[in-house]
Amino acid sequence: MLAYIVRRLLWLPVLLILISLITFALGIYGPGDPVQVMMGLHARPDIIAQVRKEYGLDQPFPVQYWNYMTNALRGNFGYSLVKYQGQRVSDLIAKRLPVTLQLNLVSVCWSLPLAIALGIFAALKRKSWLDVFLRGMVILAVSIPVIGLQPVLTFLFSRKHEIGPMTLGPFLPVGGWGGIFSPQVILPAFILGLGVLAVFTRQTRAAMIDVLNADYVRTARAKGLKEWMVLVRHALRNALIPLVTLIGFVLAGMFAGSFIIESFYGIPGVGQLAYDALISKEYYIIMAFTLMIAVVYVLMNLLIDILYVFVDPRIRYK
Amino acid sequence: MSENRGLIAVVVVLLVALAGMVCLGVGALVYCPQPGSACAGLFGAPSNVSQNNPSQTQPTTAPDQSQSQTQNPTQNSSTNNTAPGGNVLRLPGGSGMGGDPPTLDPANTSDVESATYIVEIFSGLVGFNKDLKIVPDLAEKWDVSNDGKTYTFTLRQDAKFHDGRPVTAQDVKYSLERAADPRTRSTVSPLYLGDIVGFMDKYTGKANEVSGVQVLDNYTVQIDIDKPISYFLAALAHPTSYIVDKFNVESGEQPWYLKPNGTGPFKLIQWDQGQQIVLEKNADYYGDIKPSVDRIEFLLGGGSAMTRYENGDLDATRVSIADIERVSDPASPLNKELSIDPQLSTSFIVFNTRKAPFDDPKVRMAFAMSIDRQKLNDVVFKKMPVVATGILPQAFPGFNQDLKGIPFDPEGAKKLLAESKYASGLPDIVWSTVGGGGTAGSDVQAIAEMLKENLGANISVEQTDWATYLSQINGTNVDFQLFDIGWSADYVDPHNFIGLLFRGGSLNNWSGYDNPVVNQLIDDASVEPNLDKRIQEYQQAEEKILQDAPVLPLTYGRDFWLTKPYVKGAFYPPLVIERLKYITLDK
Repeated sequence: MLAYIVRRLLWLPVLLILISLITFALGIYGPGDPVQVMMGLHARPDIIAQVRKEYGLDQPFPVQYWNYMTNALRGNFGYSLVKYQGQRVSDLIAKRLPVTLQLNLVSVCWSLPLAIALGIFAALKRKSWLDVFLRGMVILAVSIPVIGLQPVLTFLFSRKHEIGPMTLGPFLPVGGWGGIFSPQVILPAFILGLGVLAVFTRQTRAAMIDVLNADYVRTARAKGLKEWMVLVRHALRNALIPLVTLIGFVLAGMFAGSFIIESFYGIPGVGQLAYDALISKEYYIIMAFTLMIAVVYVLMNLLIDILYVFVDPRIRYK
Repeated sequence: MSENRGLIAVVVVLLVALAGMVCLGVGALVYCPQPGSACAGLFGAPSNVSQNNPSQTQPTTAPDQSQSQTQNPTQNSSTNNTAPGGNVLRLPGGSGMGGDPPTLDPANTSDVESATYIVEIFSGLVGFNKDLKIVPDLAEKWDVSNDGKTYTFTLRQDAKFHDGRPVTAQDVKYSLERAADPRTRSTVSPLYLGDIVGFMDKYTGKANEVSGVQVLDNYTVQIDIDKPISYFLAALAHPTSYIVDKFNVESGEQPWYLKPNGTGPFKLIQWDQGQQIVLEKNADYYGDIKPSVDRIEFLLGGGSAMTRYENGDLDATRVSIADIERVSDPASPLNKELSIDPQLSTSFIVFNTRKAPFDDPKVRMAFAMSIDRQKLNDVVFKKMPVVATGILPQAFPGFNQDLKGIPFDPEGAKKLLAESKYASGLPDIVWSTVGGGGTAGSDVQAIAEMLKENLGANISVEQTDWATYLSQINGTNVDFQLFDIGWSADYVDPHNFIGLLFRGGSLNNWSGYDNPVVNQLIDDASVEPNLDKRIQEYQQAEEKILQDAPVLPLTYGRDFWLTKPYVKGAFYPPLVIERLKYITLDK
């Protein structure tokens, strides 16, 4: 088991080098140039060349890549060139990651338990009108585009409504960030949670139905166990196994942030940072962001695989 | 045993998740003691400016905090920043678009967002007044030599940096040389200061100092320029030329501008990235007009500024096209708070004269005449800009009121096309535009449709991202066939439009237009000392250009702002200039 974990971890650097090579190459050889973006329409080739030289962007690809990687190993992930000029990329990410994590945490906290509860409920009441209704809502929830939902919610909750002589609202602030206990977090966390809610409700329902039809549940019932014992100890426990993988990915995804939600609500998270970086060809921010996500996913995958040993007795690693 | 494993695992997963959540929650509580307080996060990040650099130890941050408290007796009274009362002005970030400014380093100011703050925090030798006239700032007076190549500035003796240190001629020399230093990596300083003798030598690393800047005594500095350019003072009024404090720049803070020590009417006291920038008035400001508002909060988290304004959380907002009809309605109460100001910008459709079929002026004119700009402006742009009659925008010196503009005349256009060398048939045309995929902007679609209907032109639209677009249109060899672009003035001189965009061989001459007559007019005008004559020459050139139609000027930009009635003295100039010191609050 330990050997397996070590072997998996040894692959991590190889993977990271591959990913960083590809990302770096896309940045350097792709169209557009950060210095040009800085100068905009007023670009002068002699100035661009001079500034590129100062940044070392005129060096050949292997030299630039080597410099970047050796600095990165020493904890220096470079500096922002365009949007946050001269600020350390590691500082920028360190400042924004907690915001993104907190926002995603709130969204997972409300949606995940609710989704599992709804999924179990739907499985137990299979083919009843409630089940049909829930499934309909799930399809609706995954189908509504965020771009459409955001203005509607803002209109409903963040505006003053004058209905006859009464003035209602605004109930919630328009956006920005005030920590996880602030009212600002409610709307974005709600929208972000919808996706999780939909996916997990469906998965839980499917897994529960599967398990409830299994032989051992029939056996459990046959030997006269109380129904709640059957459900909790035999059905639910086994139904949750396939969900572990999904939960892993949701947790990993929390680090990536949401480009759209964070931009719409003016939340200073990594999603917003990455979006800005992509638009302005900020190589170093894109690199650091990509590497961070890669590490998180690899580790999360490993963790899931290890967990399976405990979850599913049929699995053994050598 | 194995039976329990599954249960244990599930419980473990849930416990780990729960523990993580608790940790995050506790962290949030520790760092955000008050719900709703501006607080970015957990891992060491109540991200105000003083804590931007975790590796920096206290000695540098502590004095600054005490300093800002002792120096600003107003700070305590203004901490109650959410109350609608008090002498606090709440504005949308930067130019009204929100978002962090890319820099607060004057030498690197290449964008409007950054300039908005820099002109309030720092100052230059000269500045612009409300009427966009050059006025003394840190320099109280100056002499210009007879040949127009030597400027001698006498500095005010009462001007101080925010930390109390007096501004001297050495600071001027330091600041200008720093702008030229290749390590400053400024992309803008050569554009504004490149005419100073020796500036480019330092910029390209050939010299260690800028020979054209000399300190005569503590309060006198002399600047020599290569040729007698008329807009040199205007260049000095640009943020690139503003004065910085050497000790501040070399403080070791990464980057230094997070804690700027300027000379302007306002000082930066807080910058929560992505959230807010807070300026506080400089009680020791030397200028004649003292700032009145104690504290200005710029909201950086974009989105829905209009809603915030209507809810009373912002004191001013830029109006977007989504709200313009509602706000323009005279019956709306908002209409009384609306101000409309011209910008120094023109949007164009560019016909690349190097590419078929736009190598034929008749085809270009036919295209231009097939576009109903009035309808476009009324329907698509909702009358926010105004239809362009020429190249120079309305608020510009040298704007020609007699120009009628290219008429909308589909019949005439068909006739012209029939006379052109493409009478037998137009090739397929690709319109390049900036876009994020999906459908192109409705303006592009509308124009493409007009061209199809009136000329039978077959136009397909290709979208690219801004960075790629820039790399395509920069330089003298533009590959795009037909594209749209807007141009805003960097300095108030007709050369900025006519010369840069239409002189043959100019780097911003996107259309590849090269008319010897026009070139001659532009060359004459750029060295003509008599202002009226210069403007006349530029206007002649403008008329000739419009006849050849290398571009179709679409619209002149305008700014729409809403300002609460209790905010007095607010104005929205077409250039970024110092303007917050004029504002008083009357609540």
